[in-house]
Amino acid sequence: MAKVELKSVVKRFGDVRVVHGIDLEIADNEFIVLVGPSGCGKSTILRMVAGLESISDGEIYIGDRCVNEVDPKSRNVAMVFQNYALYPHMTVHDNMGFSLDMAKRPQKEINEKVRKAASMLELEPYLDRKPEALSGGQRQRVAMGRAIVRQPDVFLFDEPLSNLDAQLRTQMRMELKKLHMKFSTTTIYVTHDQIEAMTLADRIVILKDGLIQQVGTPVEVYEKPANVFVAQFIGNPPMNILEGTVARDQGRLGVRTKRSFFPLQEDRKNLWEGQKVLFGLRPDAIKIGDSLNRIPPEWRCTAQVELTEILGGQSLLDLVVDDEISLIAEVEGRVQMQAGSSVEVGFCFDRVVLFDPETEEALSSVAQLEGTAEGTTPERDIAHKKEIEVHTN
Amino acid sequence: MREVSRDRIKAFLTLLPSIVLIGIFVYGFIGNTIWISLTDWGGVGALAEDPQISYIGFQNYVDLFTGFLEGRFRQDLVNAVYYSVLLLAGAVGLGMFIAILLDRKPMGEDFLRTIFLYPMSLSFIVSGTIWRWLLAPQGGVNILPTYAGMEPLSFQWLASKESVLLFNWQNLLGIILYIAAFILIIVGLLGLKRDPNRAMKRWILPGVIIGAIVWLFGDLLPQAMIMEEMHGLNLATLGIILATVWQYSGYTMALYLAGFNGISQDLRHAAMLDGASEWDYYRRIAIPMLKPITISAVIILSHISLKMFDLIFAMTGPDNAETGHPALNMYLTTFRANDFAKGAAIAIVLFMVAAMFIIPYLISSYRQQKGE
Repeated sequence: MAKVELKSVVKRFGDVRVVHGIDLEIADNEFIVLVGPSGCGKSTILRMVAGLESISDGEIYIGDRCVNEVDPKSRNVAMVFQNYALYPHMTVHDNMGFSLDMAKRPQKEINEKVRKAASMLELEPYLDRKPEALSGGQRQRVAMGRAIVRQPDVFLFDEPLSNLDAQLRTQMRMELKKLHMKFSTTTIYVTHDQIEAMTLADRIVILKDGLIQQVGTPVEVYEKPANVFVAQFIGNPPMNILEGTVARDQGRLGVRTKRSFFPLQEDRKNLWEGQKVLFGLRPDAIKIGDSLNRIPPEWRCTAQVELTEILGGQSLLDLVVDDEISLIAEVEGRVQMQAGSSVEVGFCFDRVVLFDPETEEALSSVAQLEGTAEGTTPERDIAHKKEIEVHTN
Repeated sequence: MREVSRDRIKAFLTLLPSIVLIGIFVYGFIGNTIWISLTDWGGVGALAEDPQISYIGFQNYVDLFTGFLEGRFRQDLVNAVYYSVLLLAGAVGLGMFIAILLDRKPMGEDFLRTIFLYPMSLSFIVSGTIWRWLLAPQGGVNILPTYAGMEPLSFQWLASKESVLLFNWQNLLGIILYIAAFILIIVGLLGLKRDPNRAMKRWILPGVIIGAIVWLFGDLLPQAMIMEEMHGLNLATLGIILATVWQYSGYTMALYLAGFNGISQDLRHAAMLDGASEWDYYRRIAIPMLKPITISAVIILSHISLKMFDLIFAMTGPDNAETGHPALNMYLTTFRANDFAKGAAIAIVLFMVAAMFIIPYLISSYRQQKGE
């Protein structure tokens, strides 16, 4: 068990910089998820922590030790690879016990630890099998067992679930979470799947082009994205980003679109009238029907339905407001509406996020969201500048 | 159903020409050679228009293995065994070693790979001639030390009369049993970790018992010959082994390098994180994973060594008894001495020895296919 600290970590491949000075502090026992699109440098960062890639600049600490020059085998980290990287010629037992064997532990201890891990992962019947005789999910478990047996300081996961089918992925995700709760080992988890990030993480680190975009709890990055990229990367369907102008109407500061005006919940000093803004609304912050009751009348307007998609318990509505603004709403229940029909919609404008259209960075928040997780840092700017405060639960 | 049978007929018709040709020219001729080896075709009238040939059973084989006059064949056979073993150890070992070095991606890896593979492209006659010069008594390798101011070597690479690891052919049966016991024990020891009980019962115990019986009662075993006849590793064959290793280690290197490249980098990384050193990685992960390649290399090289002809011909000529080989002997017996029956018997012995290598391989690969 150990904290992990990255200080201005840079990775260059030849002349190409892929990681541009990352600062990140990961607390002991914390579950951190690095998420971002392909090529954002998330796997590279993980591999630098593991010692599989050299560090071009900056420092990485595991515990109190700077590991820049430390061999992977001496870092006491365990990694689960995307393709599991099981040794194909060894049995499950030998795969799981290999690290202990390398550490010259007595055979009795190896057997004991492997059996213990195997019983926890329900792998006992398969100990004498070779990986080729296992299903994808079982291989995944063996890979995790191999990591657990070592009792490492840090677990590293490199997209471990991406080779599984959707159902198994959900199941393994839950098991991973349970395992983490059981072992409470510092974990760094890389994925491109924002659902995994949202469900597993204590804190999510969103990366793009080798830069941290935001660090925060899942709720934080969902409700208060630091910029348009985060807003659209986290959440499915992504946040609706609309254009508007800051205006004052009947004494209240708000956002004006072509035909409508939505007052903000509170006055904000950093906005001025006539300022162009982008405003973001989560699809679930758009209400119709009965849920409208909770929305004040000034946050309502009329929209045309373009398409409805029923997901099962929820429905997705493609809406057009003011004849030109397209947005997606996610509403409860099965809603069946004719294309072209009109519907009254209400925006939870207390959840709106304003962005600067030039920089696409968020303008500081409208309101504190109710139910924001405790212990998160309210000053989003901190995350923004890639200076991260330790998250302590 | 009709579709299937039509497909089968088509497949059969397509294969028929090759089945017929292989049937005649491979298996038919093997059968013919076996038949000839069981006759007395040879001697003065061998090349007569209608030679007198009569069936004599296994007499030719008995002569070859125990006959008074066939000591040269027995030494050739011993040569072939030592030659195969040393070539395998040398070419597989060296090839694997170079492959490991190149697998670490040194500068100019492509260039080096070509250089190491290049000897493969030479004909044995060419490389044999080069090595004959290099291993000449007063030139080449032997005068290398003089460049460092030392005395030249005096070893007779291709003409040495010395022999080591001698054994008496009279005890052939005992030696074969010792080897069998040794193999049983080795197989048992390898399987000890996986299933101690089975390994003990099936392999180690029988091995120890056979070994003990031969050791205690070896004198009671029938002797192969009436008189003592010593055979061993002729040091003159070292030059030939050296040349063959030089020619083939590039080939095994290419096999292993392709294998190493096929192993996912993640496995190496996983091993590193599991605490394995580079040496551990190759010993415990990479080389065991390439077992199929090792087996292929052993099969291919053992065939080459059992059929070796032209390299020895080029390096020492066919008549140098010290570096003799059954294949050369077969040629000399058949076409110079016109002893067709005995030549055929030598050919069949070589065929059987080669089969000893290839049949277990075919069985195991067939089983693997079935198991999948």
